[in-house]
Amino acid sequence: MTQVSSLAQQHMLAQNSRITMRLTDIGKSFSAVSVLRGVTLDITGGEIHTLMGENGAGKSTLVKIISGVQGQSTGTIEIDGEQVTFQNPADANARGIVIMHQELSLIPDMTVAQNVMLGQEPLRGGMMINAAKLRETAKAALKKFGFSLDVDTLVRDLRVGEQQLVEIARALLMDARLLIMDEPTSALSQTEADILMEVVRDLAQQGVAVVYISHRMDEVFEISDRVTVLRDGDLIGTTLAADTTPADLVQMMVGRSVEIQPVERAVPASDDIVLSVRDLTAQVAGRKVLQNVSLDLKKGEVLGIGGLLGAGRTELLETLFGARGGDHTGQIEIHGKAVKPTTPAQGVDNGLALITEDRKGNGLLLDKSIAENVVLPLLPRKSRFGVFSQFKRNAQAETAIDKLRVAATGVDHVVGRLSGGNQQKVVLGKWLATQPSILLLDEPTRGIDIGAKDEIYDLIGQLADQGISVLFASSEIPEFLAVCDRMIVLCDGHVAGELSRDEMSVETIKDLSMQFD
Amino acid sequence: MSMTDLRSHSDNASPSVGRWLLSLLGKTKLYWGLVVLVIFGALTSPLSSKGNNIFLSIGNLTDILRQVSVTGIVAVGMTLVIFIAGIDLSVGSIMALGTVICAMLLTQQGWTAASMFSVPATGVILFVAIAALIFFVQSQMKSSSESKPPAPSRVPSMAIAAVIALVTMWWLALQVDDKFGVMAVLISVPCVGIVMGTVNGALIVYGRLQPFIVTLAMMVGALGLARVIAGQDTAVYPVYTGSNAVQEFDILRSLLWGVVPVPGLFFLAVLLIFYLLTRFTTFGSYLLAIGGNAEAARLAGINVKRNTIVTYAIAGGLSALAGILYVAQFRQGKPDAGLGLELDAIAAVVIGGTSLMGGRGAILGTFVGVLIFGFLSNILQLNNIDSNTQLILKGMIIVLAVLLQEGRIEEFFFAVKTKLRGEK
Repeated sequence: MTQVSSLAQQHMLAQNSRITMRLTDIGKSFSAVSVLRGVTLDITGGEIHTLMGENGAGKSTLVKIISGVQGQSTGTIEIDGEQVTFQNPADANARGIVIMHQELSLIPDMTVAQNVMLGQEPLRGGMMINAAKLRETAKAALKKFGFSLDVDTLVRDLRVGEQQLVEIARALLMDARLLIMDEPTSALSQTEADILMEVVRDLAQQGVAVVYISHRMDEVFEISDRVTVLRDGDLIGTTLAADTTPADLVQMMVGRSVEIQPVERAVPASDDIVLSVRDLTAQVAGRKVLQNVSLDLKKGEVLGIGGLLGAGRTELLETLFGARGGDHTGQIEIHGKAVKPTTPAQGVDNGLALITEDRKGNGLLLDKSIAENVVLPLLPRKSRFGVFSQFKRNAQAETAIDKLRVAATGVDHVVGRLSGGNQQKVVLGKWLATQPSILLLDEPTRGIDIGAKDEIYDLIGQLADQGISVLFASSEIPEFLAVCDRMIVLCDGHVAGELSRDEMSVETIKDLSMQFD
Repeated sequence: MSMTDLRSHSDNASPSVGRWLLSLLGKTKLYWGLVVLVIFGALTSPLSSKGNNIFLSIGNLTDILRQVSVTGIVAVGMTLVIFIAGIDLSVGSIMALGTVICAMLLTQQGWTAASMFSVPATGVILFVAIAALIFFVQSQMKSSSESKPPAPSRVPSMAIAAVIALVTMWWLALQVDDKFGVMAVLISVPCVGIVMGTVNGALIVYGRLQPFIVTLAMMVGALGLARVIAGQDTAVYPVYTGSNAVQEFDILRSLLWGVVPVPGLFFLAVLLIFYLLTRFTTFGSYLLAIGGNAEAARLAGINVKRNTIVTYAIAGGLSALAGILYVAQFRQGKPDAGLGLELDAIAAVVIGGTSLMGGRGAILGTFVGVLIFGFLSNILQLNNIDSNTQLILKGMIIVLAVLLQEGRIEEFFFAVKTKLRGEK
């Protein structure tokens, strides 16, 4: 019990001594390339300060400098009026600066308690971990922060949103006075993101300074006190969130005005049904992830698939493609022909292409070139006697680069070194090279900046105009309004409802996705 | 920010000749390591009574090729396995099993455990391999213009393969009464290895087990199997060509035109075949894709399971082939012939720049890795350095080579320097 109260005391201490961080003229260059110039910024305890900017604007570099991952080339950092230099992240931690990376850094096979207390385990006799105390401390801490998590669950078994809470709890126990969160909601559904933002607001009220990086405009306005925009390594400006509008911020970010508008469609969807699904039911380890799902997709139509995380969006797309094996029942007809896809190869043969939600995890070979990635699905089909000519390969990659306007030095550019938006374009290029008639898009704009998002929306519209049918799954509701002709909303593996373009709105979609709650 | 901007930028930035040379040097540093080693060998080599440099003599250099051939062939198979981010610890045991079966087939008459295992194994493997090959050629011939031709019937390919497999088995069975000839051994022993490798692959794919565990079990199991087949624990089957085995078996240990050792030729041939396969065919792309990101490969419609099994089967087959060459050179087959071979092979692959994480590497790198070990032990032997010191040096070379390969050597020494300075 004493441990708990001392933790609580530490926490109180953190509240009492609110941090003030002053960055003066921070710059960073690698050899001759300057990636950040003259950033001057104040951050104080109790505020939520959002950093915005497109990919490559310098957000990550700035955050790395603040958290001691990289040193700055020019400029000074002052904390509470005292000038500091960070040699490594531990120095920054000692000052109460904690960063939560975009990719979670939890250990999946440890319990929640063990993860929360990682690196600060209570000891018995100076050597052995006091497991009971560890558990109690973690439990008390979680309760204090208001997180309802079972400390004995393995992190592996938690949903992404819950894992994020564990990460936050760990940061807070490290006595964080300045918490940096790099796109914490990019993997969360709307509801989970709402919970997370509640937590973040709470933290700020307790006096913690939060530096928040996000691409989601609605969220930025919901949560921020102040917003700082970076562009191409320059600080464009810092404003109170209350004094600005989304359009202004976008203009600051891209240097011109961009509004997310419904994509203009030249050719309306025809009435030919290319994909017809009836009573599709699929299970994973005995649990039904899809139940009697039926839908029709017309030629040249963009059909949205909404729903919360775990509602069955991904499962639906993967089942149609054949990526989930044969554990499904119901009828699937593609171009009027009944099929039962059980392998991805069959999916490709059926004219389908699946762009997965996790381009780094299962979409790309990160240390291979654009050319090698683009031709991957073509290799089993378009090779002759096991040989696929280098010439054809490069030609395919050139086409993808030109068509999708991938910013790269050439077909040999290693995919892992591209920005998120360009990586996503390579994934799209790879699948368009198979000349699919039906595109299955699973969160195609996750983690990419607004400019690239816009390009991808436009592209989807163009493809539909060319007669390609698209199933578009997303967790960001405004996206449906931008690109979809029609949508269905899933809830708990069921189709909760169908919305025409006119019926679609943030409210109707939200209502349907929580129908069975 | 259009494409053309970026391209012209990169063109402008195209470096001076010096820089280009430097980057070329960086890419080929592995070969330079080999060159340095050869120069070192030539400088330290003792001279023969006629005053010639022994190390650089044709006889010595071709002998190095012969010495590395067994490890080299095994290392080629290991390279493929490591391409797919796997590991095969069983190659040594499978090689030893190959030596035992090879030696017994050559020297024992009638239906021994060796022939009872190898004849059916040959039949099954030939049937599957030939059927697959014919089917592959069929499907490729038809897919000239159509993007999605109907798959050809499997019946003709299976019929032809069945005939060939049965004829081969009959031919082998005829030889069982007497003793196996060279061709019979060269066909049937690798098939035994392929069977063992296929078991590895099938367990990994369908049992969803770690390659390390499966091949560790196979390493132990194949050693036991070799002993059971040999009949007793310490069995050694000597092969005396001309007295207890056919004279022609000597071909496998002879020097072609008095210069080129035949085991070395086998190594070079295997190297060439798999260099071409991995460098220019989709098979190579599949392996690297599977090793780089198996799930991405699967979703691209690549048959990850089949390619994984084939890879382990190849590793097993090459190991058994190496076993035949071992018998030819050492005139014996024994169950513990392959002790530690898997580690030598892995070391050669890693020195050759193939990443143990999979997805990155090259067969030619493995060739250089094998040669580096071959030259090193030759140089040390010529200078009369005892074998235990050789092991120490070998260990150091592995670490040094990998540090170099990963471009971490400067980093490493810098870290050591600052640590030493900081703790003064």
